[in-house]
Amino acid sequence: MGLLTGKRVFSIMALCMMVGLLLLPIVVALPSPAIGEEAPAVGDEAKKDGEKVEKGRDVYYKTEGIVVGAPAPKTTDGPKDYPRYNFESRVLIWFANQQHLYYGSFVLAVPIFCMIIEFMGVVTKDKALAKRYDQLAYDFIKISLTAYSLTAILGGILIFTFLTLYPAFFSYLSGIFRPVMHIYALMFVAESGTLYIYYYGWDKMREGFLKWIHLSMSVVLNIIGTLLMFLANSWIGFMMSPAGVDEQGRFLGNIWHVIHTALWNPLNLHRILGNMAFGGGVVAAYAAYKFLASKTDEDRAHYDWMGYIAMALGVAFLIPLPFAGYWLMREVYAYRQQMGITLMGGLLAWLFIIQATMIGILFLSTNYYLWQAMGRMRGAEKYQRYIKYLVFLLACGYIVFITPHTMVMSPAELKAMGGQQHPVLGNYGVMSAKNGGINVIITTTVLSFVWYMRGNKVSTVSWAKFGNIFMGVFFVCAYINIIWLAVYGYYIPANVRVGLSVPQVATTLSCLFFMFALNSVMMRGAKQMGPIEWGKISARSQYALIMLATAFTWMMGLMGYIRSSVRLFWHVNEIMRDNSPWAYTHTVGFAANMISANVLFFWISILFVFWLGSLTAKKVPVESKAGIPGSVPQPAASH
Amino acid sequence: MKALMSLSALIGVAGLLLLGGMVLDIVPSTTIRLVEGYMPMQLLLEMGCFVLGFAGLSYILNAMGMAIPRFWQGIGFWVFFLLYLKYRVYPPIPFSVRAMYGTVSLVAVFMWVSANEEDWQKFKQPIMNVLDAQTGMNKLLRYAYLVLLPILIGGFSFNAMMPKSEEPIELRTVHPAPPASTKVHGKTYTLQTSQNPYRVNTEGKYDQEYTNANIVEQGMGRLMKPNANPWDETNQGYLKYVREGGEIFFQNCHFCHGDNLNGRGLHAFAFNPIPANFTDPGTIAQLQETFIFWRVAKGGIGLPNEGFPWASVMPPWEQHLTVDEIWKVILFEYWHTGYYPRTWD
Repeated sequence: MGLLTGKRVFSIMALCMMVGLLLLPIVVALPSPAIGEEAPAVGDEAKKDGEKVEKGRDVYYKTEGIVVGAPAPKTTDGPKDYPRYNFESRVLIWFANQQHLYYGSFVLAVPIFCMIIEFMGVVTKDKALAKRYDQLAYDFIKISLTAYSLTAILGGILIFTFLTLYPAFFSYLSGIFRPVMHIYALMFVAESGTLYIYYYGWDKMREGFLKWIHLSMSVVLNIIGTLLMFLANSWIGFMMSPAGVDEQGRFLGNIWHVIHTALWNPLNLHRILGNMAFGGGVVAAYAAYKFLASKTDEDRAHYDWMGYIAMALGVAFLIPLPFAGYWLMREVYAYRQQMGITLMGGLLAWLFIIQATMIGILFLSTNYYLWQAMGRMRGAEKYQRYIKYLVFLLACGYIVFITPHTMVMSPAELKAMGGQQHPVLGNYGVMSAKNGGINVIITTTVLSFVWYMRGNKVSTVSWAKFGNIFMGVFFVCAYINIIWLAVYGYYIPANVRVGLSVPQVATTLSCLFFMFALNSVMMRGAKQMGPIEWGKISARSQYALIMLATAFTWMMGLMGYIRSSVRLFWHVNEIMRDNSPWAYTHTVGFAANMISANVLFFWISILFVFWLGSLTAKKVPVESKAGIPGSVPQPAASH
Repeated sequence: MKALMSLSALIGVAGLLLLGGMVLDIVPSTTIRLVEGYMPMQLLLEMGCFVLGFAGLSYILNAMGMAIPRFWQGIGFWVFFLLYLKYRVYPPIPFSVRAMYGTVSLVAVFMWVSANEEDWQKFKQPIMNVLDAQTGMNKLLRYAYLVLLPILIGGFSFNAMMPKSEEPIELRTVHPAPPASTKVHGKTYTLQTSQNPYRVNTEGKYDQEYTNANIVEQGMGRLMKPNANPWDETNQGYLKYVREGGEIFFQNCHFCHGDNLNGRGLHAFAFNPIPANFTDPGTIAQLQETFIFWRVAKGGIGLPNEGFPWASVMPPWEQHLTVDEIWKVILFEYWHTGYYPRTWD
């Protein structure tokens, strides 16, 4: 009892320490927020000396402020501003940045999964299942721990690369963000401390009240991680849509303006969802790899279940991701029409077609996995004959979604077509059709999920027949509404057309929430046609998971490149010009090769991380680790 | 159910016969016309009919004891789709787009035939039979593949590496990215915020809704609204400016952009690509008026670095027209096509 009390006290202290760590950077930064650390000081000093206080006008907020920073340097091509190895500096920074981002995303996403899974374990009444969830969360955090060290190392490499290859730019950026850079560093310390306490305290805080304390720690850990990401996002937000500085790039003393730029919020939302989907994909790929390498049925069952959970979590965040992306693009257009057109209709438009292709692959892989997963349920055969119609819907949505506005063609083909736009397919190239395409794809994915959830069950509620008809009609109406709005979009002004995405998204989300909810109610106490035979899933499904993760990784690399390239020849858009010899946009082919190289390196290195994780696992016998004497992994009885 | 499937099967057979005729050039691809304004949906609906048609055909053949193996069903549908894209859709689709659609349809066929274990086994059985080579025929086929596949790959490699005299494929953008502001006749215009000074209501105030209500109606044809005829001399304000814009258009622009603003003017086919088709929903309907203003004023020659890659020989009209004339001609283009300029509110 005494020991337990001691443990409790220790746990509460640990939690308090975490909260303290979380608050530490904020406390440290208290003098600086809102009005800037040095602004009043400089102003006062100037007044004392009787000097004229120079004021500047914020390029974005249009407010006046006292100039407290140096103007953005006007760089020249040479060793002073752009020292270099005998290699393209931009490629080096690209590589360092991308690897850091991959690992950063992974280590930010996995603790969120752990939090969700640990919570599911705590609230689940089935004790065996609760232990499975707990073990799964522990496995996840173990993987992320090694990746965390690598993230820090890659962050160090990134800073050194900036310092050595782009000193003038980095000096300017760090001058602007000086107060928050220190906060960032302190947040990193807080994140590390919290993560280690969370990980090493797992066994000590396994039961009862202590478990809740442990779970609270994961919440704190994720708050710190998210804030860390928001701060990092403010730098790229500033580079794309600067604020808080005047036309010469001089800091005007308001650090909040510098952070809260036009694109900061959409970037934050898009990245947090993207990280989650990416993290789910990576863990699902890990599970798929382990499944394929498994020697026993028990292992296969465990990793099949793990892959399913990771995939489901990843896809849960993938579904709203296109909508967050849509918001980001809308804000980009609103901020600078030129940027929007460069992205969606100009120089980078072809990369967006590749992006659409990757998004399609993600959803197609997800659907394919779910259909395969129905193979391990008895009773799901009834849906198999209809899958070809789902394939048709997905293929049609996908074809519309990837049709380019500007087609690649030879001059002879251009002449044969009789104009720049194909009269039939050209209509698929604009946003109205594409919104329809992606919403059809997502709605079909929701339908696949609903089929999967009721695969081995037959509803026993008295209104089952009515419920089934209602669901069928609901989906048909949803498809009609989405397609009708896509067609109607051609007949109304563009600003109204942009607004049509709202009812389209609302339709898709209605399918998601209402149909899932209705299905859950209908399946309560349903008759089971047979158990879910975990582990008895085709190998193809696991390749679909690997495909899913690879597509996520590739798409992240691509979107990062697009986002960065849209600044064209600016380090900081319209403020600091890039005068290095590499201030041009790469060809699509070069960019694709570079992204592929980054993806390959990430996957090779993460395999190393997985291998390191497996070394630890081998030292601990499965039985004692799982906490179920003599038991072999028995995944969830339901999904 | 059987009647429905029989009907579907008939559609499937009709589709096969029609496409066969088109491939052999017996039946023109315009036999079933692609109706302007409905073509994109018509294409998707036709594909939907074929999917249902082939499902019906498969059902009927199965019932007759003449089931087509899943392997040939998959291959057959994919080939059908490729031929459909090549011979049914006109004007011809560029190869790059057909390749994209072909890949998507191949993936879709794979997803269909491997969606469950039973189908997958059925699909891959003929492949496994050839690889196992248990019968004489399969043995022969295996040897044939052994010889033919390297030749085929070699042929593709040779074809890819062989120097060609064709004009190279070039990427271009339909909408070159504009600068934040542009200077025309000594005055700077911010593209994000500037407005057409002639888009005004009866009180002379800028009014997008009023002018939108007076443009021609879209539909199968283009009809002027009652009491909104710019060529009525009594009309003042917006409609008068449209008339003046129209006069400028027919004096300067229609030679290339055409009487119907569809990019098919007298001189249009001297250029490749031909001039922009304003009636296409992908051109001016997607853009702000200020974008068009900048584009007309600077022409193809004056495009900035941000606008690359482009291919336009349009002259910089600021050298021939006044600012007012440019705004009026833009007003006319939107009026005539029945499109509304893009706004951000």
